[in-house]
Amino acid sequence: MSILVNDNQKRTRLVLNIAVLLLALIRFASKDMTLQKTSFFENVVIDIVAPIQKSVTTVHSKVTGFFQNYVANVDASRKNIVYQKQIADLKGQLFELDEVLRENQRLKNFLQFGKSIPYKQVLAQVVAWDSNSDNKVIRINKGLDQGLRLQAPVITAEGLVGYVFRLTNDFADIITVLDPNNRVDGIIQRVRTHGIVEGYSKERSIMKYVSRTEPIILNDVVITSGLGNIYPKGIKVGTVSRIERESYGITQHVEIFPAVDFSRLEEVAVLVGTKSIEKEKQWNALENMDEEGSKR
Amino acid sequence: MRSDIKGNISSFIITLLILFVLEIFSTALFPLFGLSSIKIPFNILIVLFLGFKINSPYLAFMILFTQYFHSFFSVEGWEMGTVAGILICLLISYLKDLLHFSSAIFTIIVTQIFQVVWFLIISGLYYLKFDGFEYIIEKFWRFIPESIIISILSPFFFSLLDKIWNVGEGGMLGDEA
Repeated sequence: MSILVNDNQKRTRLVLNIAVLLLALIRFASKDMTLQKTSFFENVVIDIVAPIQKSVTTVHSKVTGFFQNYVANVDASRKNIVYQKQIADLKGQLFELDEVLRENQRLKNFLQFGKSIPYKQVLAQVVAWDSNSDNKVIRINKGLDQGLRLQAPVITAEGLVGYVFRLTNDFADIITVLDPNNRVDGIIQRVRTHGIVEGYSKERSIMKYVSRTEPIILNDVVITSGLGNIYPKGIKVGTVSRIERESYGITQHVEIFPAVDFSRLEEVAVLVGTKSIEKEKQWNALENMDEEGSKR
Repeated sequence: MRSDIKGNISSFIITLLILFVLEIFSTALFPLFGLSSIKIPFNILIVLFLGFKINSPYLAFMILFTQYFHSFFSVEGWEMGTVAGILICLLISYLKDLLHFSSAIFTIIVTQIFQVVWFLIISGLYYLKFDGFEYIIEKFWRFIPESIIISILSPFFFSLLDKIWNVGEGGMLGDEA
């Protein structure tokens, strides 16, 4: 009897192993690595889990903030004088930049540039990081309810962070430019060379498909090209930190040091196109037309 | 080895709750202390424990649920970990007569060996996706410290899970329920 039970168990185990293995392999093969749509269940669970992550982050920042702001803040008055001077200098620079901005606007109008799509900025706080070191992903405390959309670009004052990869009602996972699944169409600002910036390591990205003959030098600034329909043009991605040109091949190995310091990232801004709803309707209409056409 | 279903379910739920707490620490707390590039994969530790010590026909489902639970904290998803977990458990079932956990050192060594196997399977899947070795080499340098931390934690962690799953501490593999 016990031998029969054991045989039965072994058979069940084998069948379940094969079934689950096949299911996982099929899902892996068909998985979209550029974005992830959440099911209702996942949406609910992540919205339960993320506030706990947020509260852990908040408690930590309150405790460290107390020590940094009160206990360790001994020479604040001396620093204050230095900062006042820096603010005065920056105000001067800001005035100059404002003038440049106005001039740029005038020239743009003069050249009849296409009207760029206006973006609304949604500020968000980083509440957690991905639990797997293979994925350079952060979780923020804003989601669908705050107007975020899948693939919305995410930036800071320093430059590009990434885009919205997974979205729930109140939280979003952002795939950063350090992740190999994130590919950004970039331009070297100085020489206007195109390439694809792809995540490479914990602190570097690489720029692929850059011709070996392009005269790129160290510290060249890389910006987004605006191609690819995700990122608007002109956001700083990073600077060239390493170049390898072999005597053979048609491309060169270009490493990019990101403009954003990901180890100290606390707040980000998500760019939400105000016309995205209209765009969505247009896409839906096109999809419906396709479906109707295929039915006929 | 444990094989009764009712006991397994309650123990499994407790194990998932432990994973939940550890994932919260790993994703929200450790990065604040500068541990943002190295993440401790507690899900691997739990899958290895299940493979080593639980003799259930529903082991594949347990691995699937553990990985699915892990996917709430990682965009990695459940697929790759499930494939690696099931293949490793199949391998363990063939090698069970050679393995025992009578000492902490042996537990550390066995855990480290199977983490290498896990790494090889996942790297193979990454190679299929990315079609290049650059990323795998970079992953390898992260794997070394992460796997060592997991291996060092394994004797303590396994003894805790032994109590939850109500299995003996030494030489579980090969015992019948």
